Amino acid sequence: MQSTDTSTQGDGEQSVEALPALDRRADLSYLDFVEGFRAFVLDDTSYQRSAEHALDHLESINGIRPSRLEEFKSTLDELPAVQMHNRLMRTQQEMKWHKLAPSLGARRAELEKELADFDDQGPGKLLLDPDFQPPGYVNVHFHLQPGTYYKDSLSGFMYHWGTKVFFRGDDDRDVLHDKLVDLVPPPADGRVERILDLACSVGQSTTALKRRFPAAAVWGIDHSAPMLRVAHRRAVLLKSDVTFAQRLAEQTGLPDDHIDLVFAFILFHELPIRIVAATVKEMARVLRPGGVFHVFDFLDSASMSPLELYHRDFDARNNGEAYSQDFCDCDFHGLLEANGFSVKHTGTGGGYVKTYFAEKN
Amino acid sequence: MSNVSEQTPEGGAPLAGDHPTYFADPIQDTLVNMLMELAAQVWVNRERMAALEAVLEARGGLDPDAVEEYRPTPERAAALREERDRFVAGLLKEIERLAPPE
Repeated sequence: MQSTDTSTQGDGEQSVEALPALDRRADLSYLDFVEGFRAFVLDDTSYQRSAEHALDHLESINGIRPSRLEEFKSTLDELPAVQMHNRLMRTQQEMKWHKLAPSLGARRAELEKELADFDDQGPGKLLLDPDFQPPGYVNVHFHLQPGTYYKDSLSGFMYHWGTKVFFRGDDDRDVLHDKLVDLVPPPADGRVERILDLACSVGQSTTALKRRFPAAAVWGIDHSAPMLRVAHRRAVLLKSDVTFAQRLAEQTGLPDDHIDLVFAFILFHELPIRIVAATVKEMARVLRPGGVFHVFDFLDSASMSPLELYHRDFDARNNGEAYSQDFCDCDFHGLLEANGFSVKHTGTGGGYVKTYFAEKN
Repeated sequence: MSNVSEQTPEGGAPLAGDHPTYFADPIQDTLVNMLMELAAQVWVNRERMAALEAVLEARGGLDPDAVEEYRPTPERAAALREERDRFVAGLLKEIERLAPPE
């Protein structure tokens, strides 16, 4: 079983092992297998090779390479290597949750007590809203996580463990979040007094933002109380003075022109498109002129290769990414500009994520 | 994909239900899942054996809690991770048969 301890990363930043122990050593090694299984499936070239071969064939018949999903989806669906890839992608997610839920569940009383012990500790604050009503659109098993993100008292621990396996080791010491936070430019005038981390889940980017901008007041907001409690516990262990509040991205309750920097990591593809629009509008309200809005989210459909389009469609339907297709199909760049932002930089790292660094006019 | 979830998210894509199938014959989906579960359990045993051997080597005997508490050194953890990846690659090498040659 893993235990809570602190360690120092190579760059000298303090990190913390906030993942709770699993019930048995066998659960840990089972998940270790799933992590390796997932890594293999993601890197499986037979799937890519088969799909590209089929696309080449369609191009030779039609004289033009298919570019729209409906032109090649049924062909790829019939390929044995693609069928196997799809089966294995689904299976590794199912295996992960089928092991995590009972393993953490076996320690439920102990883990709930631990969260309660941390709720009122500092240096940061945990602001839960007893009257909070989750909107209907969050009632989705995102990434197949049992109990959605908010219905199980251990949803936060479940999510943290799930992302440890999902990111194939990049999540173990908050490596990914530290890296992304270090990429974002501050406002041009250099003033960073208040930061908002949108849909912060277990708060890994929230504390990374505090590390990078130690003088700023940093808030992380999320709809899920179980996530925020885990985020707060982790921040306490890190001695990070940040505030976690139960609020919606589209309705933050913050004053106008209040925030200097907003950070949003893989949030928007989990929102219905009307909430995407409402959230961008809300950010235009709460950011001060010259404030910056930094978004890391799924690549837009127009920039995707045929195989990426195919995978996105598969992932939406088979990995609980209910709204992702609509987000990828929307003109997010145009939406930012229509709400008074200047998009200073967009970029892709060759993966599934696209960055938008925007400034409020 | 077969079988659709009863979840009805606002707009968006229809989500697969609890037991989607991806092959023409659902028995094949079941066999793959059985195989992966078996493989996971084999790995669980191998990992435990590795821990057991390390503990025995270090202590010259076996305390009942020793295996449960054992944590590999960074070097041993790295070696184990490499061994794990070789294990997975060997298990799934049959997938190559389904694809055209490189």
